[in-house]
Amino acid sequence: MKISYQWLARHVDLSGLTAQDVAQDFTLSTAEVEGVERFLPHLDAVVVGRVLEREKHPDADKLSVCKVDVGLAEPQQIVCGAPNVRAGLHVAVALPGTRLPGDLHIKKSKIRGVESCGMICSERELGLGEEHDGIWELPLSTKPGAPVAQELGLVDWIIEIDNKSLTHRPDLWGHRGLAREIAAMRKRPLKPLDPSPLASGSGAATPVEIRSAGCLRYIAVPIDGVAPRRSPDWLRALLFAVGARPIDLLVDLSNFVMHDLGQPNHCFDRAKLAGRGIVVRDARADERLLTLDGIERRLSSGDMLICAGDEPVALAGVMGGEGSKVQAGTDSLLLEVACFLPAVVRRTAQRLALRTDSSTRFEKHLDPTLPAQAAAHFVRLLKEIEPAARVAGASADVGAWRDPAREVHVRPERVRRLLGVDLSDARIAEILASLDFGVSAQEGELVVSVPSRRATKDIGIEQDLVEEVGRIHRYGNIPTRPLVAPVEPPPRDEGWRRRMLVRAVQDRLARDARLLEALSYSFVSDALLEQLSLSALPHVAVVNPVAEGFSRIRRGVLGSVLEKARDNRHHAERVALFEVGKGYLPEQANARGEPREIHECAIVLALPPSKEQRSDGAAWTQVRAIVEDLLAGLGHERAVAGPAQACEPCAHPIVRAAFRSADGAHELAVAMALDPVFAQRLGFAGDLKSDVACAVVSIDALLSAASEPRGYQPLPRFPGVKVDVAVVVPDAVPAARCEELLARSGKGLVRALEVFDVYRGGVLPPQARSLAWHVELRADDKTLGEAEVQKFLERVERALGEIGCTLRRQ
Amino acid sequence: MTDLSPEHASTLARLLAQVAAASAAEDLRAIGREALEKGGVVADLLASIPTLPPAERKGAGQAANRIKAELEAAIDARKRELEDGALLASRKVEGFDATLRAPRVERGALHPITQVVRELEDLFTSMGFEVLDGPEIELDWYNFEALNIPRDHPARDMQDTFRCDPAGELVLRTHTSPVQVRAMEKRRPPIRAIAPGKVFRQETTDASHEHTFHQMEGLVVDEDVSVGHLIHTMKTLLRGVFGKDIEVRLRPGYFPFVEPGFELDARCPFCKSGCSVCKQSTWIELLPCGMVHENVLRAGGIDPAKYSGFAFGLGLSRLVMLRYGIDDVRHLLSGDARFLRQFHRIG
Repeated sequence: MKISYQWLARHVDLSGLTAQDVAQDFTLSTAEVEGVERFLPHLDAVVVGRVLEREKHPDADKLSVCKVDVGLAEPQQIVCGAPNVRAGLHVAVALPGTRLPGDLHIKKSKIRGVESCGMICSERELGLGEEHDGIWELPLSTKPGAPVAQELGLVDWIIEIDNKSLTHRPDLWGHRGLAREIAAMRKRPLKPLDPSPLASGSGAATPVEIRSAGCLRYIAVPIDGVAPRRSPDWLRALLFAVGARPIDLLVDLSNFVMHDLGQPNHCFDRAKLAGRGIVVRDARADERLLTLDGIERRLSSGDMLICAGDEPVALAGVMGGEGSKVQAGTDSLLLEVACFLPAVVRRTAQRLALRTDSSTRFEKHLDPTLPAQAAAHFVRLLKEIEPAARVAGASADVGAWRDPAREVHVRPERVRRLLGVDLSDARIAEILASLDFGVSAQEGELVVSVPSRRATKDIGIEQDLVEEVGRIHRYGNIPTRPLVAPVEPPPRDEGWRRRMLVRAVQDRLARDARLLEALSYSFVSDALLEQLSLSALPHVAVVNPVAEGFSRIRRGVLGSVLEKARDNRHHAERVALFEVGKGYLPEQANARGEPREIHECAIVLALPPSKEQRSDGAAWTQVRAIVEDLLAGLGHERAVAGPAQACEPCAHPIVRAAFRSADGAHELAVAMALDPVFAQRLGFAGDLKSDVACAVVSIDALLSAASEPRGYQPLPRFPGVKVDVAVVVPDAVPAARCEELLARSGKGLVRALEVFDVYRGGVLPPQARSLAWHVELRADDKTLGEAEVQKFLERVERALGEIGCTLRRQ
Repeated sequence: MTDLSPEHASTLARLLAQVAAASAAEDLRAIGREALEKGGVVADLLASIPTLPPAERKGAGQAANRIKAELEAAIDARKRELEDGALLASRKVEGFDATLRAPRVERGALHPITQVVRELEDLFTSMGFEVLDGPEIELDWYNFEALNIPRDHPARDMQDTFRCDPAGELVLRTHTSPVQVRAMEKRRPPIRAIAPGKVFRQETTDASHEHTFHQMEGLVVDEDVSVGHLIHTMKTLLRGVFGKDIEVRLRPGYFPFVEPGFELDARCPFCKSGCSVCKQSTWIELLPCGMVHENVLRAGGIDPAKYSGFAFGLGLSRLVMLRYGIDDVRHLLSGDARFLRQFHRIG
């Protein structure tokens, strides 16, 4: 919202205060200031000129050559194209060197061969309006050579206030409210408004009937003796300053009252109402109204209408109707000043995306006593400018409004304790009184009368008044104090354990496995879900997405990371990413309707495709190693890998493994190669064709599973023996089964097993592969000899033979 | 040192030449034996001393000792040379270039938001705060109602909300503040907690706006908590984040769940007299905060007559951008490795 410094000065003496001072006061005690700007600074450079002579241009019918007194020793010759230029006029002259809005740089020039020393300006050229039919005619009281800004009282500053910071302050939506703040801060009186009530005329009252609960108060004032005309310059200048376009006196005055007191109001052309009474009612579904902006609005039953009889003439609190607006020929008015329920106005403005100065104000719970003051203010100003105007008949003032003014008890001790500053009772009372609160002391408490303008929404409890004291005292004057509390670590609960676990996962993956941690949107696109064959699963979805097809919230993290891995393949050969995040399962919502939240980590590794194009190639091997290392690091060294049953649809049907805790109770992680069909669909194709493997590690399962005890193995006192064991293993026999038998055959001597070779083909039978292990045998009480090794190999051969494997002897 | 007679000098020179020419340890031992054992040059010299006139005896003795010492040193040195010979030969490198880079070790990195969250968690846990987590999908109650933002409150417009159903019973949380009431339900005062996490606003994305970003909530509830405590804690926070004392400015700010509510501006840590970060104002609006509204305490089951508290919100995404000079918020959740890899530093 734009606030004019000159306008503020109508309500409070600002002498000695610059616009910057005022802005600083607002910033520190009232609201957020977005900027302070000089209003039309170029008007300092534009001077008053008196046209001494005007002659026709010798070579152009529509141009005039003028001699203009601009306060210099000699009159200046200026060529002008306006039809209304004539000798004797006072005009605004931009002399050479002046810059005007629109980057117009005035230079001495020749126009059709005649020298011109400057430009005689129209209002539009000066940024003062739309009029460009002719030049701006200034009052004859202006002094040639003086800056226009100074002569016309246009020396002003605009203070831009952030509307959001006024959300809770209905009293600050006009200049008078803000002036009251300055008055309180600077201990200066607020200039009084004429308190006399609205005069009444002798004619008949316009009947008003309120049929909607959304209208609290409706004042209708019939006014005669008006005609649309140009507003006085001071009024136009103030409206310009706050960004309102002057139109004609009646509309301008309506705007002026709104910006002055913060009360929206509306002028109907009374003739258009055709004697019908005003009815305030809820709209019927699909009813239509052509609003002032020329758009036909389709209404719904939640909207509230002002009607003449049954015909809608305005959208209550939002915008007037085109059919009843003031225009050329209007000679009688009906002035509406009302108070509407914020929620109703807000809903309509929102639904129609029609936020107006009026709706913005009504949304804030305006003071219901304000309409009477505003109506009187309007009429008083109108009569000052247009003495012929008169109230034509009795005003209607109806509605079931109540004055919200109230008393709030304030304990000074509470003020001191909440602010943390030692203010005396007297100082607290003084600050509250400066804001026009009534204050009286009563048994150690202050009884504070909150006037209606602050009582609608803003101030209802003691804590609200603590703020009033704090902000006027200024928060910067409060001494800082360290918190004092028992020295105790925070509880080591599940939340703490999860956080520590997530840190450990992140560290193992980013630091040790050297992956990059990504973070993603919680949204997943419909296209991605389609590619991953997850579309049919229930997802939480928003009803107002930022983009079509981007409404659903992920159930798990893997999809986001796969998508990012693919995008990265555009500029990297190898992509190694992980993300720790949340997923939501709506089908498992709790009684309160909250979807079940899961925590998991997804890992994706994408490499250039290998020559062999194997699904269990390098990416698979590396991801599996990363997962095993991660689990070991988290205390699950003995996690058991096995076939993965239920799995993401995008998992390779064969190349995948589930890792369960040693006790078998929890599935901790699933690693998988990406199914080539899904890889193609996801876009790992063409130049981006990749060897992709991924894994999903469940943070929840890791939290539930008991990790293996920490411990220490004494260092060996006797050397071990390394034996290589190569076995032909049918595909049907899992490697883990072989390892189990190898370990058992060692009778406690097998200390380590490591696969070092896998191959198939050659001399091997079909559907079998050769697996080779380095086996370390070691005893705690002696050095092992060849005899023990041979016995071990014999037991191995027997045990493996029983399950169809053949030990390969060198 | 004793000067040698020409005769002795030539003897020494001959012996040293033999040492230098020796190509095996065995040869060196032979030279030593020849010179020093009985019948050798040095032994003879020593043996002849008693036969010399007394005035010459001292000189002869010194000459013999010098020859012996120099010879032994030369033999030792040559012996080491012969031993290291093979290794010395292997030192040879052709065309070595100290500026030639090795292939870079693959780098992992934590996301910059994770890094900043960890710093803040460490800072606050060191002051006895606990770290809480809240759901991204939130009940209207926690996101709005319990925070003193009833339906039709204009403040709901300040936060363009993603609704998960037409009535908005379930929303994507628009701020981390719902964790305030969740914290109060879980703990009794004194409460000291922070809650970092993802939040959502339904708005068009550009270089400075994202519909998904990160915030951190802070909450303190205890007896006699005041604005003075709030300011002190915020200064401590800023000192932790920027590594130096930062001047702050508290001004009124409106958030329905605090009263009084503030915007806390920090004196721009990047300039002295105005820069692009602070839009030439020397202040950065950084921390909305305030004293917890009594309605919020009540919603959390805490008696406002006995306890008071303060809360603050920190824009983590913004802080990360400020710290690294990131000019486009969209990088943060892009997952672009070229962006992520830049945050590999571990110290």
